[in-house]
Amino acid sequence: MMFVRFTNKSRTSVEAAFEEARMLGHDALGDEDLLLGILRADEGVAAEALYSLGVTLEDARDECEEMLSDALSSTGISLEDIRREAGEAFDMSLPDDRKIPYSPRAKNALVRARKEMRRLGDNHLGTEHVLVGIVGNEDGTAVRLLGRLGVSPEVLEERLFELRERADG
Amino acid sequence: MDEKTRTRIGGPEDPREGLEAVVALRRTLEALEAAQVENAFVAGWPWARIAEVLGVSKQAVHKKHAKRIRAKYPGEPPKRKSRGA
Repeated sequence: MMFVRFTNKSRTSVEAAFEEARMLGHDALGDEDLLLGILRADEGVAAEALYSLGVTLEDARDECEEMLSDALSSTGISLEDIRREAGEAFDMSLPDDRKIPYSPRAKNALVRARKEMRRLGDNHLGTEHVLVGIVGNEDGTAVRLLGRLGVSPEVLEERLFELRERADG
Repeated sequence: MDEKTRTRIGGPEDPREGLEAVVALRRTLEALEAAQVENAFVAGWPWARIAEVLGVSKQAVHKKHAKRIRAKYPGEPPKRKSRGA
């Protein structure tokens, strides 16, 4: 149901997003995880657009942890201190049997992706539609993460459509 | 904490910052609990003693952590007698 009309690439990127979420200890799939999934699957126009703007999987993961660390700092807690105190056993990742649901923002992004597909008159839902859906969450974590990496939604969408036209032509 | 570690967006009056801190704490707390239970297990503590210090039942701590820790440390738990399946 969720994956109706998805291309193999976009489905792979959503599956990769769940793996990223698990690794980072996200108890629900966030829109930033969908972004990481696109980079991790490393396929399609969306990953190409992100790479061309200098966004790599490593950068995005690091920024995710940096945002967690900043949020903890605001309460006076140092992630580094906790990590040091707990030793090697400290690991943010969630166990394999832990079920990770979609967050409302991730759901919104995928709903918006489908609208984008229809708006463009496309028959299949590709990674570019997913990415447009993600950056449509103006107040979302993914948009702020991209902003910290110096990429605005406008620039990203522009690059996406350039690459799309090039692929079509 | 020095000024540099303070977040840049908004102040304590910014509700989003406060709410995001809660999420960050929850995720970090979960990872910290898993790590400290594992550390205690490796140190040879029985589940009952771990549970007692955490202030929860032995069943609760076992249910939450045993599977993951056993998978990571296959074979006999340290300094403990064997049990049935």
